[in-house]
Amino acid sequence: MVFPRKMKWTAGPTWSAALRYGLAVASVAAALGLASAFTYFHLPQSFGPFALSAIAVTFWYAGTKPGILAALLSSVVRDFLFDPQTSTESRLLYDLVFLVFALLMTQVVRRRNQLELNVAERTAELTRSNDNLKLEIAEHNQAEYLTGQVFECSPDAVIIIGTDYRYKRANPVHERNWGRPAGSMVGMHMTELVGVEFFERKLRPFLDRCFAGENVRFEDWFDNARGHRFLAVSYSPLRFGSQQVEAALVIARDLTEHVLASEALRQAQTDLAHASRMTTMGELTASLAHEVNQPITAAVNGASTCVRWLNRDEPDLAEAREAAAGAIRNAKRAADIINRIRSLLKKGESKRQLADVNELIREMIALLRSETNRYSISVRTELDADLPKIMADPVQVQQIVMNLIMNGIDAMKNVDRARELAIQSRLAEDRQLIISISDTGAGLPQQQKEKIFDAFFTTKPHGIGMGLRISRSIVESHGGRLWAADNSPRGATFSFTLPIPVEAQEYAAQKPSDAHTNV
Amino acid sequence: MSSNTVNKLVAIVDDDDSVRGTLKELLRAAGFSSQTFASAEDFLGSGHQKETACLITDIRMPGMSGLELQARLNADHCRIPTIFITAHGDEEMRFQALREGAVEFLPKPFDDEVLVESVRAALER
Repeated sequence: MVFPRKMKWTAGPTWSAALRYGLAVASVAAALGLASAFTYFHLPQSFGPFALSAIAVTFWYAGTKPGILAALLSSVVRDFLFDPQTSTESRLLYDLVFLVFALLMTQVVRRRNQLELNVAERTAELTRSNDNLKLEIAEHNQAEYLTGQVFECSPDAVIIIGTDYRYKRANPVHERNWGRPAGSMVGMHMTELVGVEFFERKLRPFLDRCFAGENVRFEDWFDNARGHRFLAVSYSPLRFGSQQVEAALVIARDLTEHVLASEALRQAQTDLAHASRMTTMGELTASLAHEVNQPITAAVNGASTCVRWLNRDEPDLAEAREAAAGAIRNAKRAADIINRIRSLLKKGESKRQLADVNELIREMIALLRSETNRYSISVRTELDADLPKIMADPVQVQQIVMNLIMNGIDAMKNVDRARELAIQSRLAEDRQLIISISDTGAGLPQQQKEKIFDAFFTTKPHGIGMGLRISRSIVESHGGRLWAADNSPRGATFSFTLPIPVEAQEYAAQKPSDAHTNV
Repeated sequence: MSSNTVNKLVAIVDDDDSVRGTLKELLRAAGFSSQTFASAEDFLGSGHQKETACLITDIRMPGMSGLELQARLNADHCRIPTIFITAHGDEEMRFQALREGAVEFLPKPFDDEVLVESVRAALER
């Protein structure tokens, strides 16, 4: 019989039937051979044990059916070759032994097969588990890699700080910010980098809130290796598996350029507003001169009157005194107007304070009286006496009023009918003031109620076209709105709102150099 | 001060309160009484045009201007000797005013002597 090259010593079913039954025959034959040899050499051994071994071997390697065949063959061989004389009863006894053994072997083989199945199942399970684990490890590695990349490549500073306020890990941006290699910072206390005072006052309160479980965000100025920088910082609590916060994840974004850019923008807007005021004031020179001239004329009249009373043969001192006093009053009025003009021309920072809008309107009307007179425009005011004061930059509010009045005057210059400029101030719902300036001029261009607010839009031959745009940006920076509507029966009305503060508080504009710096 | 000027009306028309008031006081110190009006319309509406012997008026006012007032009075055949006082005065305006019968055309602020003399001259006509 031919044995296959790589024989598996288990599982008979993998062999072909021929092989299996062949083994049955062969094993019995071998048993027979061995028994015969032992007998030949006069060694005491019966066929029994050899036969049982053959049966066992067959069952084990070839399976149940071949095993039964082996048992049968063994029985036959025993009966006819080894013990022909024995009685039928004795034979049957021997046969019974083989039968019982065969039955036992059947069980054995069955159990063995079952075990092999179990083992195979377990192995399959284990293999699957192993594969899953490998997948998890791969995913974990990838996550680690990604986290590492985020850490390394983030344009923001990313740092991990322990509850002992010492650095655990820092990324390249943080290195650059502080001019030290990340490795050297591990284990360092935060105070070594930012100073004790800054840490205690500015960082520790937020950090402690983070360690208590809160996500904290704040912005502040820091002095680091890159200079005076404005950083937006977030502290997020980290819990590595347990409920306890064990560290803080710190992310700091450098917003210095943005803050400086918005500062520069604000400054540019202020400069533009100032330039616009200068231009308008230049256009008004003749009018303003006339305006100043009136009180000066009155003062000269008063002084002349005083001299006349004194030049009499009997000087009337009482009259002279009164005339002189009047002259002084009028001279001061002239000085006031000059000051008002000067404040409009001043360049300074935007200064917000509690302002009486009605007063600002009246002053501006007075300043522009020459202009309204020049074009025979009558001015009517309806100013709400109970108008509350608001937080505003008086110069800027006057600039808006001036711009709108000038626009109204321009609209009515060449109009034949009655020219009236009406200015109204009133309190609206939702805590706002509304100031409206109406004219009886040509009215708004059709479908262009919004276009007139564009930069460089003008209908004047020598106009620049920035007045309304600047006025609108000033109004909006105060939190209000500026819009145009048709006036009935003719002309236009420009209205703007200014919000009323909940509490009147004085505050000055924030500048970068004013903010606190550390160490 | 000659007696025939005592009861003659001097009218002052100017929209600026302080100019109006101090002018009235100045004339009073010079011995003239006067009536003040805040606008040309007020003067015309007062009905005193015929009795007015001298009119002192500003040119630039809301509503009717001083020159328009002069034209209106001329049209009504109410020729009143008029003295214009104004902060704005170009040659053309001055020429027109004088041609239409103005007695004087003075810039603001003005020399009180010149004004008083002009008033006197107007009242003695």
